[in-house]
Amino acid sequence: MNLATYARRNLFRRRGRTILTVLAVAVAVLIFSAIRTVGVTFNAAADDAMSDRLATRHKVSITMQLPRRYIDEVRAIPGVTGATAANWFGAKDPKERIPFFAGFAADDKWFDVFDDMKVDPAQLAEWKTTPSGVILGDILAKTFGVKPGDRLTITSDIYPGDWEFKVVGIYMPQRRTVDRNSLILHWEYLNNDPRAELTKDQIGWVMTRIGGGVKSADMSRTIDKIFDERDDQTVTMSERAFNLSFIGAFAAVLTAFDLVSIVILLIMMLILANTIAMSVRERTNEYGVLRAIGFPPRHIVGFILAESLLVAFVGGLVGIGLVQVLINMGIGPFIEANMASMFPYFRTPPSVMLTALGLALALGLLAGVLPARGASRLRVTDALRRTD
Amino acid sequence: MVPIRYNIRSLLVRKVTTFATAFGIALVVFVFAAAMMLGEGVNRALATSGRVDTAIVLRKGSDAELSSTLNGEQLNILRGNSAVASTAPEGGVIGEVVLVITQEVDDGSGTISNVLVRGMPAGGMKFRPEAVIVSGRAPTPGTNEVVVGRGIAGRFKGIVVGGSFDVRRNRPLTVVGVFATGGSSYESEVWGDLDAIRAAVGRQATVSSARVRLTGASAFDSYRAAIEADKRLNLKVMREDEYYKKASEQTSGFLAGMGFVIAVLFSFAAMIGAAITMNGAVANRTREIGTLRALGFSRLAILTSFVIEAIFLGIIGGAVGVVFVQVLALVSFPVMNFQTFSEIVISFKATPGIVAGALLFSIVMGLIGGLFPAIRAARVSPVEAMRS
Repeated sequence: MNLATYARRNLFRRRGRTILTVLAVAVAVLIFSAIRTVGVTFNAAADDAMSDRLATRHKVSITMQLPRRYIDEVRAIPGVTGATAANWFGAKDPKERIPFFAGFAADDKWFDVFDDMKVDPAQLAEWKTTPSGVILGDILAKTFGVKPGDRLTITSDIYPGDWEFKVVGIYMPQRRTVDRNSLILHWEYLNNDPRAELTKDQIGWVMTRIGGGVKSADMSRTIDKIFDERDDQTVTMSERAFNLSFIGAFAAVLTAFDLVSIVILLIMMLILANTIAMSVRERTNEYGVLRAIGFPPRHIVGFILAESLLVAFVGGLVGIGLVQVLINMGIGPFIEANMASMFPYFRTPPSVMLTALGLALALGLLAGVLPARGASRLRVTDALRRTD
Repeated sequence: MVPIRYNIRSLLVRKVTTFATAFGIALVVFVFAAAMMLGEGVNRALATSGRVDTAIVLRKGSDAELSSTLNGEQLNILRGNSAVASTAPEGGVIGEVVLVITQEVDDGSGTISNVLVRGMPAGGMKFRPEAVIVSGRAPTPGTNEVVVGRGIAGRFKGIVVGGSFDVRRNRPLTVVGVFATGGSSYESEVWGDLDAIRAAVGRQATVSSARVRLTGASAFDSYRAAIEADKRLNLKVMREDEYYKKASEQTSGFLAGMGFVIAVLFSFAAMIGAAITMNGAVANRTREIGTLRALGFSRLAILTSFVIEAIFLGIIGGAVGVVFVQVLALVSFPVMNFQTFSEIVISFKATPGIVAGALLFSIVMGLIGGLFPAIRAARVSPVEAMRS
């Protein structure tokens, strides 16, 4: 009989308690993974950004506009393989079927720079020749119940009145973090409308694609230097930094999430420590016997730690199984389908599961240390006399 | 009924177990109460920004000051109504320009976040009697001097008394003072001169929004009807307190909702912990239960006794959690205001309702966790128990 066998047999002496403790560990691992998944996937869109795309915007504020000619100057820079300009449209669904989606007016080159938003070539050609044409993400088109050829009425938070568009195409995401809820209209169409007087001949931001061998930091400096002496200075950053700047104020919430996810592991450790302490108390007598027949104290410590680790390990495995079933096959696809503007992708990555399992094991070890020390330090005579 | 003293002593005898379980419950209560306090903090900050006798006027179609535009002619028409309290500062009507600027958080992390800058006419501060200068001095009208709210003073680079930051090239805004508004969301804004800020952003003749001080809260309905009926204006009139309430609902609903979901998930683990502890208590005291039954205590009395013990366990945890969560009152937390996409700094606010809710939550956790063990205790057969 070895340590593991003893630990395993001991576990089944109080079957109900062991099952409950394993369940507690599993639930803790599940909740920890779920919370971490929110943070990881929230940042995923930013982290997954293309490294060869740069964003240029007004230095002071994203709400301030740049002169239209800036786009031509960016396109003329050697090393730039493509550039596109866009204006935020502040699109709203007049029937309020969805609370928020991205709507912006972009120039003809948008889908060249964003080739991960794939549009059928015929539809793209039609978009370029149809002033009131719009291209929608596949999920947004489904929400609106529209297909190419249909009319679509949208209102705007910025530009008054109803806006009538003709749906000419649907784009399909080529990467998992591409937003599938965007609506793209023509920059010229917006610019020619009298309601857009305030932003006439202005652009909101520029997206630039750079050729291989060009360092993005160098290119950012080059672009900003061109406009440094103008009234409207620019700031150029990687697409990742640009995406992150919109969720900057969420950073604090995500940090709070990380802290909270540690709390559930502390609760788990308390439960585990309690279970082990209860078992040790019940078995004090036996430890006395083991010591009396010659087992050294370190064996007692070994028995107790092995038991604690085994519970943590089994609980961790069950927890990972629950993560797979409940998150990756359950609410994950549901969230992707219904909250795509916030979480285009919601799955627990293996790294999070492994972290959860590793932390469960580490805390399981920690939970066993105090009871194990107590038991190993008991004098044989005291241990044998204990009846509680 | 079994004396309650019996339960209290039983909990005290098993100190370690009681502590571990109650502390687990305390952690859940902490998370629950913290989320509720943050939501309450958001409500408090935004609710105190609005007044019942003040109307906020935006362009029809915009939901927020940021995306709205009004011109001087519209402002004049807003003034020409007998419901306006013309003796108030600025004749009862102030037009203000609002923009969001990107600033770097001054903590060395390089994080950037959005700050709301408000340009107001000379009487803008007097228009809000709750605004007081707490350090430095008020800005001189017509200059590039600004004051910053207490909530963000020192949080961003350049946003301290004596500091300065650029809104446009070579047009720095100089910070000359810090103001407070009794904890409202204004404390997360920068206030400066209307013309200076308009010039800096190249917006000459227009403002973002207007605030109208009315002769009384009851004058609102007729004023709104008069303005909204005027087809030339195309404006939307809202009560200022309702405008802020709408803004706070989204943000606080998000925070409190997230926190509530997390706390409920955590409570599953804590309830399993309580169940393990109570199960252990029942197992250890089988002989005592048998004795009590033999003495004539009914099954119901045993059931009640163990349920009460579990509830005590919950209340101990709840009380510890509620006490510890008060520490958060010293902490402030940056939160994204969804309406302006800028940061508001929030302090955690406890209310009697939140404390009562947290304690109730801990009682429910104890009750559910202890119910099945208590049923098991009630089913103990006195004869077998005393023989064991």
